[in-house]
Amino acid sequence: MARLVGVFASSHAPLIVRGWKSVKPDDRHELTRSLTELGRRLRAVRPDVLVEISPDHWVNFFINNLPSFCIGVGETHEGPGEPWMKECPYRVIPGHPKLATHILETALASDFDPAVSHLLTLDHGFCIPLWKGGVDPLPPIVPIIINDLEPPFPSVRRCLQWGTMLAEAVRRYPEDLRVAVLASGGLSHSIGESTMGEIDEAFDRECIRRFEDGDGRRLVDFLSDTLPTIGNGAAEIRNWVAAHGVAGERGFQLIGYRNCPELYVGCGFASWTLDAG
Amino acid sequence: MRDYWLSKLFFDLHSSPSLGEAYRADRRKVLDRYPLSLDVRAAVERDDVAALAPRVNPYLLRFYFVVAGMSEAEFLARVKAVAPPAAGSRRG
Repeated sequence: MARLVGVFASSHAPLIVRGWKSVKPDDRHELTRSLTELGRRLRAVRPDVLVEISPDHWVNFFINNLPSFCIGVGETHEGPGEPWMKECPYRVIPGHPKLATHILETALASDFDPAVSHLLTLDHGFCIPLWKGGVDPLPPIVPIIINDLEPPFPSVRRCLQWGTMLAEAVRRYPEDLRVAVLASGGLSHSIGESTMGEIDEAFDRECIRRFEDGDGRRLVDFLSDTLPTIGNGAAEIRNWVAAHGVAGERGFQLIGYRNCPELYVGCGFASWTLDAG
Repeated sequence: MRDYWLSKLFFDLHSSPSLGEAYRADRRKVLDRYPLSLDVRAAVERDDVAALAPRVNPYLLRFYFVVAGMSEAEFLARVKAVAPPAAGSRRG
């Protein structure tokens, strides 16, 4: 039987790549420490497959077809196409069609209606945490895109339920497989809005406190109320909520948080301690 | 409400480096391929961030002005003058 061996979350600020030289030395040091530790923890659980949850940034989808949830079932995925990601070593990324299809079937049986893609491009959201965390070579990846980009968004509650479903799918997978989950995105940021560049550290700290508290209902209520009132990039915290559902709503451990104005993003990194067995 | 063809223009420019080059070389020639309303086209031609912002996704707005060659400082100054989005528009 498959086993869930790790759950992780990471920010993916593009300026970590294309604006790194402009980052203050203290911030650079702290971000490097957090990303290195994230990568170390991920490698340490020796995943056979990584299920990665990230938003799309107008790479795979447009407003003529914008799914709330999409599962990548392909044998392979394409690496990031952003010109400033050209140094990223991931060009052809292995998939895991059997686990991806099993997750799809479990989702459908659980009254979710996800979209399916046989060839996704994994943009910077998927690749920055792994690349900068030193995860190379990559394990096969089952990519899951949650629409955090363009309203209407899936509700925060639905994202928590999605995570619970994902954990159940892993438990029911019949083959021996070590499965890790990584949520990519957040914390507070604002892109292309009048608040662009503003980071809401108080909100980020409260989010972290709510994840540490664990209770899914309180977390959902808090985020459902606050996400519509702050910068658009914070919508990506839905991915962290899904990861929290995967982990059974407990065990959140902050690896690091940095309010980085040079990156426009409140950068957070975390893992969840899972029950033994 | 999103303007479909404005969004499509921005999406295409974001997706295709060669189209971006063509756009920077001759903006009007590329704009002629998109059935933009007269007021939207005029807003694009005068780089009117405030007029365009309510009609497209904010990420696409930002990506567009990178492709169009506006400096980050200039874009930040102009976008900060835009009225903030209504909170309800982000509700999931």
